[in-house]
Amino acid sequence: MSTLSLMIFLPIITAFALFVTKIHINIVKTLYMIVTGIVMYLAFSLYVAFDANASMQFIEYHPWIAEYGISYHIGVDGVSLGIVMMNAIIMPLVAIALYKQRDKRGYWINLLFVQGGIMGAVLSLDLMLFYLFWEVMLLPIFFMIGLFGYGNKHFITMKFNIYTILGSLMMLIGILYVAVQYKGQFGVYSFDLYDLKNVKLGARESFFAFSGFMLAFAIKIPIFPFHTWLSETYRSAPTGAVIVMSALMAKLGAYAIWRFLFTLFPETSHALAPYFIGIGLFGLIYFGISAMSQSHLKKMFALSSASHLSLVVVGFFIYDVYGLVGSSYLIVAHAVSSTALFLMAGMLFERTKTYHIDSLGGIAAVAPKFALFFAFFALSIVGVPLTAGFVAEVLIVLGAFEYDIYVGFISATTILLAMLFMFKMISQVLYGKVSESAKNFQDLRLHELIALIPLALLILAMGIFPNYFIKKIEPTAKSFAAGKEAVYHE
Amino acid sequence: MSNTFIALAVPALLLLSAIFILLFGLSSYYTKNRAYYITLATLFIAFFISINGIGVLHSAEILPQIFNSMIVYDTFSATFISLFLLGGFLTLAIAKSFVDKTNFFTHESFVLFLLSLFGMVILTMANELLTAFISLEIASMSVYILVGLNRDSLKASEAFFKYLLLGSFAASFYLLGMMLIFAQTKSTNLDVIAEYILNTDLNSQLLVVAGSMLIMITIMFKIAAVPFGAWVLDVYEGASLPITAYMAGVFKIAIFAFALRVFLKDYITFQAIYDPLIIGGALITMAVGSLLAVIQQSVKKMLAASSVVHSGYLLIAFASTGEATSSAASAIIFYLFAYFISAIGAFGVLSYISKGSDNLINYDDLNGLAKERPIIAASLTVFMLSLAGFPSTIGFIGKFYIFTSAIEAGYTFLAFFGALSAFISIYYYFKVIVHLYFKESGHLEVDYGYKVSLAFIVISALIVLWGGVGTSLLLDIPGINALNALSKYSLESLGL
Repeated sequence: MSTLSLMIFLPIITAFALFVTKIHINIVKTLYMIVTGIVMYLAFSLYVAFDANASMQFIEYHPWIAEYGISYHIGVDGVSLGIVMMNAIIMPLVAIALYKQRDKRGYWINLLFVQGGIMGAVLSLDLMLFYLFWEVMLLPIFFMIGLFGYGNKHFITMKFNIYTILGSLMMLIGILYVAVQYKGQFGVYSFDLYDLKNVKLGARESFFAFSGFMLAFAIKIPIFPFHTWLSETYRSAPTGAVIVMSALMAKLGAYAIWRFLFTLFPETSHALAPYFIGIGLFGLIYFGISAMSQSHLKKMFALSSASHLSLVVVGFFIYDVYGLVGSSYLIVAHAVSSTALFLMAGMLFERTKTYHIDSLGGIAAVAPKFALFFAFFALSIVGVPLTAGFVAEVLIVLGAFEYDIYVGFISATTILLAMLFMFKMISQVLYGKVSESAKNFQDLRLHELIALIPLALLILAMGIFPNYFIKKIEPTAKSFAAGKEAVYHE
Repeated sequence: MSNTFIALAVPALLLLSAIFILLFGLSSYYTKNRAYYITLATLFIAFFISINGIGVLHSAEILPQIFNSMIVYDTFSATFISLFLLGGFLTLAIAKSFVDKTNFFTHESFVLFLLSLFGMVILTMANELLTAFISLEIASMSVYILVGLNRDSLKASEAFFKYLLLGSFAASFYLLGMMLIFAQTKSTNLDVIAEYILNTDLNSQLLVVAGSMLIMITIMFKIAAVPFGAWVLDVYEGASLPITAYMAGVFKIAIFAFALRVFLKDYITFQAIYDPLIIGGALITMAVGSLLAVIQQSVKKMLAASSVVHSGYLLIAFASTGEATSSAASAIIFYLFAYFISAIGAFGVLSYISKGSDNLINYDDLNGLAKERPIIAASLTVFMLSLAGFPSTIGFIGKFYIFTSAIEAGYTFLAFFGALSAFISIYYYFKVIVHLYFKESGHLEVDYGYKVSLAFIVISALIVLWGGVGTSLLLDIPGINALNALSKYSLESLGL
């Protein structure tokens, strides 16, 4: 088995094995740490071995359902490498931070399962394989919210599930439609991305197939107006699930737009790009303003995360090297920051038993270390210089200016919106009079520090030495943009 | 083993075993339990005889000088016969606790069980309308009585009468249709009719068209397609759980097998006339079935209603047989595999946890099962996911084939509506999972016993999973490709 397959199936198989055996929770946790540790090690070795001058590599190909040309076809390139790394790094750190709090086997089994599922979806180059993983990774989240969530969790997890599957099914019809057209034009079935991109579709057909795919991705990210599941789901989901959803699954949606839509429907994507840039910019403002008015910490983070993902979508749709590199970079940067922030929100809740910004305050006086990290991660989300988000946002804004001066102007100014609500939140939560709930606030414990410090270091490293990371993305971005350049920027 | 031997041995074995139990069942030595094991053994042996006929291409009329080409044994029938026998075996094996704990499962019920299987076996081999009718009635009659097995239950009696009256009424359409076809073609043999249809101008064979339509009504009735399926909820509700499983998982598939043979041999020529009807039927079947399934309070009735939706999916593929014959027809066969194993498993779990009670199994009865019985809950979850068409289960591959064939035939909107009703089905199937895993139970831990039944449930669940991801790359067990090849072979053996 190659490295990539191992990274997909080791967590999944371990999850199955843990499910059918009844072993003590401590052994489950230890196994979780070992497996995610191995995956992290594999990911680092992958990163080192990744050839910075090539695009798609580590390709593995086996026929799966021969009759329909469905294959087990995986590979990694500069854009997917970022998500793979995040998936591998975040999972063990989450476990370290939550080590003491979560004593249910299901929690850890589901996290392992979702890690494998996300890994598979990121690496798939076959549409059916992608669909399989795309759907399968939903189940653990469904179970995690239903089992370990808060509030009206049964209703919310069902709503989230149904909402997401509606998108997926429409994507399925899109996939099948494209594949059948391929059969009509080339005589054989294939679901391989590189085969299907040769299909010639009429404008109307292409638009409908595009919409099917886009619906699935738009719901998952979510972009306006498919966000109605978002804030409630994030609010009632347990910390582990929220991190997976905001840091990995949402990113996967944005990544899939680039990977599948831009490859399969280049003309349609390009023709519709202005609309999606518009929706993205609108989402940026809309989610930003909504976030400002939230008094629930997790809901606020949810909306701020949606706001940044809208920016990622804008970056992809502006179609050039800056936008693509910026968006890929923002995917990683935001994944790290939001993981850390949601982890800290979880710690906050564990200590104060509240998520309400109004009933918090003055934590900095009681717990300086907590305040330092909290402020740092909140600032890294809005893209303060020296953090990873800054580099990414600058790149996207540069790309936006290249695309259109007004788009550039709007995206540059609206990014500032995030500053507003984040600073407001920081001042309310950390400073001011010491509130009732924060009186006995315990500062960060050792295992929490162990989880947070690597994330902080990563953010700084990505902010200060962006070249080292960007050079892995660049070949992919250039080869992509070169192809587009020839077509669109005569 | 020669094919003639298989074709004769399987029905003969079923029939002889039925007669044996019937004759000796009243003696004190042959208790209910012994009859149960004799039935199981019969099915087991017959299954192992019949699987010799699958996977290789063959087609021959059996003893034409005696049966006058009424019976054809080909890969198609071999595949389905194996499926019925496996289905009958699994149903009974899982229902062990049910059989033990109820007093209405007497030795006669096993006779009826075997006779109904005998009828289905002949039905799939029938190459002639009259033989098909007789075997269909043998199977139907036995199933009617099996439905009403529990004489003390008012619901069962109601179900029995409803099914008997409506079923016989529907069967009369078949007779009328057959008569009309015979009046014009002077034959009831499918091959002869097919030849006549091909060689005659479409406008001058009105009787054949009308007759075929009448036969189609009977088929639609038996597969519970809307608007002919009004009986299905009450009958599935009234019948005891193993019988419901048997009807949904096995009997329905027998009807589909026969329908497929008639469709592909005869109807295909005037597909253009039928397509609008079948498309309309598929749409309202899916819509009404979904609606019914959503509003049910009991899991058993929900599964009954959802079986209507599954008939709707199959009708999509039937509508597509005209344009994309090979892929649509093999999609139907694969979907039947998928639905067969999922339905048997789902109903089997219900019958296992109901322990022979008359209980309908409401959603609330499943609360907290995951905590007490993780294996049962996980198996039921797998079956629900498969029925909902969730990827990594065999049900997804089935839906994938059906939707692909629909798009290939140019009916993208049908695939779209299929996906919509699959979307609705997520709600009612996942509701089961919500109750299994998320709700706290009020009742005490129950010991279900019967580890063997449990083992068969787990095996079915594993088949469902393996059928969804299985590949010979990992293990040398027949996976998706092998099942697909199986359906292709059985299709080719029809000699179209």
